[in-house]
Amino acid sequence: MMRASGGNGSARVARSKGVSFSKSPVLAVRLPPWRSRLVMIVLFLAFGALAARAVWLQGVSTQFLQKQGEIRYARTLELPATRGKITDRNGQVLASSIPVKAIWAIPDDVLQAPKEKLRALAALLEMPESELRKKLDSDRNFVYLKRQVEQDVADKIARLDIEGIDTRKEYKRFYPQGEVTTHVVGFTNVEDVGQESMELAQQKTLVGTPGTRRVIKDRLGHIVEDIGAKHEPHDGKDLTLSIDSKIQYIAFTQLKAAVEKFHAKAGGAVVLDVHTGEVLALANYPSYDPNDRRSLTGAQLRNRVMTDSFEPGSTLKPITVALALDSGRVKPNTYIDTGPGKFTILDRTISDTKAHGVINVQQIIEMSSNIGTSKIALSMPSQEMWEMFTKVGFGQQPKWGFPGAVAGRVRPYKSWRPVEQATMSYGNGISVSLIQLARSYMMFARNGDTIPLSFQKVSELPQGQQIIKPETAREMREMLETVVSGKDGTAKQAQIPGFRAGGKTGTAYKVENGRYAMPRKYIGSFVGIVPMSAPRFIIAVMIDEPTQGGHYGGQVAAPTFAAVAANALRALNVSPDSSVTEIVIPADTGPEAM
Amino acid sequence: MSNKINIVLTVLLLGCALSLVNAQYRARHLFIDLERAQALSKQLDIEWAQLQLDQSTLGKHARIEEIARRDLGMTPLTPNRTQYLTEGEP
Repeated sequence: MMRASGGNGSARVARSKGVSFSKSPVLAVRLPPWRSRLVMIVLFLAFGALAARAVWLQGVSTQFLQKQGEIRYARTLELPATRGKITDRNGQVLASSIPVKAIWAIPDDVLQAPKEKLRALAALLEMPESELRKKLDSDRNFVYLKRQVEQDVADKIARLDIEGIDTRKEYKRFYPQGEVTTHVVGFTNVEDVGQESMELAQQKTLVGTPGTRRVIKDRLGHIVEDIGAKHEPHDGKDLTLSIDSKIQYIAFTQLKAAVEKFHAKAGGAVVLDVHTGEVLALANYPSYDPNDRRSLTGAQLRNRVMTDSFEPGSTLKPITVALALDSGRVKPNTYIDTGPGKFTILDRTISDTKAHGVINVQQIIEMSSNIGTSKIALSMPSQEMWEMFTKVGFGQQPKWGFPGAVAGRVRPYKSWRPVEQATMSYGNGISVSLIQLARSYMMFARNGDTIPLSFQKVSELPQGQQIIKPETAREMREMLETVVSGKDGTAKQAQIPGFRAGGKTGTAYKVENGRYAMPRKYIGSFVGIVPMSAPRFIIAVMIDEPTQGGHYGGQVAAPTFAAVAANALRALNVSPDSSVTEIVIPADTGPEAM
Repeated sequence: MSNKINIVLTVLLLGCALSLVNAQYRARHLFIDLERAQALSKQLDIEWAQLQLDQSTLGKHARIEEIARRDLGMTPLTPNRTQYLTEGEP
């Protein structure tokens, strides 16, 4: 303050003295000329440096700088694609992906957190604190703590606000129908890749392709605008299966009840639509819950209907008989002498349960006579039989788009010995899967033709391939009906109130390590057609190693067939074709030839 | 003369510049609205999937059967106590 006022004072003094500013003697001091030049040169150099710098930034390093700038505001966003849903034929969801979170951690940062918070975190992750600490005790910078955590739990974890915990978006597949449909639907792993059944078979169409987009983000992380082209994500396509979840549930529960009732090792059941070739139900027991696969065993995982082949036994007889009928070698009322119930070919003896004497072809099917079928088979060349088996699909790799489906085994006809030709005619020495067996009855249920099976909903009717004459198919249907409703039929327990049913029982010894298991182990099976007046379903049931309450197909598999058929017919509103609504089933339908 | 043209052009230039600012501003706003709508659509998609899943879970046949049998005391239908009405028959 003092100095400033002093200065002002002296200026005023100068003015008052009348001396002009330019003539001030103080300014008259001459400076050496190099000083002003030096200042100018320095100034020019400074300008030059600025210009050079500008040229450098604008011209030479501009690309690098622009890139660096872009890195700071532009972001590439991943646009995730959802895996397609799997639904049943009526649109009920069988598998669906829901976004969930993977919880990951930077161990060193997390371990700094207070103890209570870690305890709360462990509780939310549903793991003991010791396990959490073990996971965090790692040299890595990135550790997954738990994957596929549901959104609400992830939100709670975020609210704990622990340093070093972060989440990553991922999808979890849910299977609402659980163990009932799992053998058809299959499941995916944590990476959303199909592992079993249709999830595996249709992986390519179910999986989506993720997209990307480049955007400019502002300081707060809001997207300001798009830059460059956007690659749209494509969600996976939804898959509509041929399965009817109602029939599937019926088949599964009835099969489960049968396996438990007969203390069997396992069982399988399949329901086919006669008109479209669609698989309406495919059930296996034991089964598993695909939502919780922690204690999954091989036996539960096994899809016996598709991937296990077995000797079908008598269920194969109608095919041999149909061939003989079709080629005109026999008629339904042709009489054949089955003798005293024993028939020896070279060194092997084929036997019936009792001496049937002279019976006709229709009775051979009704009473399931091994000798009768063998005699019919021996009247035909082995090549014709082999061709018949091949035509209905035995020994042929199924092309239905189902992973792991087996071909079964039919040896080349040139190596058949006569006794083998005879035993094969009633289903020994040949192996098929249950679904192949069910499909072979397609030609009886339809008018002699067969159609390919489908695990996906069919929109147009498939073209049939004629195997036997329509007339033969009709005669066979009549014979199959006598098995269920005839007085000597082997499958009286397959009767359904209000409906006419037909089918064939089968009981076979189990083969283990290439020979029949000792003590005997059985597989009881039944393949049936309902309703007989206008066939709609083919239902095949197989019970593996029943140990209590019988082991014949007519005892263990036929009742399951009847229960599944009755419920399925009711579920699909099929009107009854029989006035018989009260059925008294004999307690024991008696033994059956093997 | 050229002065007048210059003035007109300057005014035009300023007008254009201001309208560009305005357009940019409105574009940002619309973009934000679009973003919000897309996020909402995504959220609704997820919700839809979740609801479908819930429907399937709650409509599980095992659950329906259990409730029908236990809580409602229902029994399965049999043909002998069913009256079938067929079209065309008296």
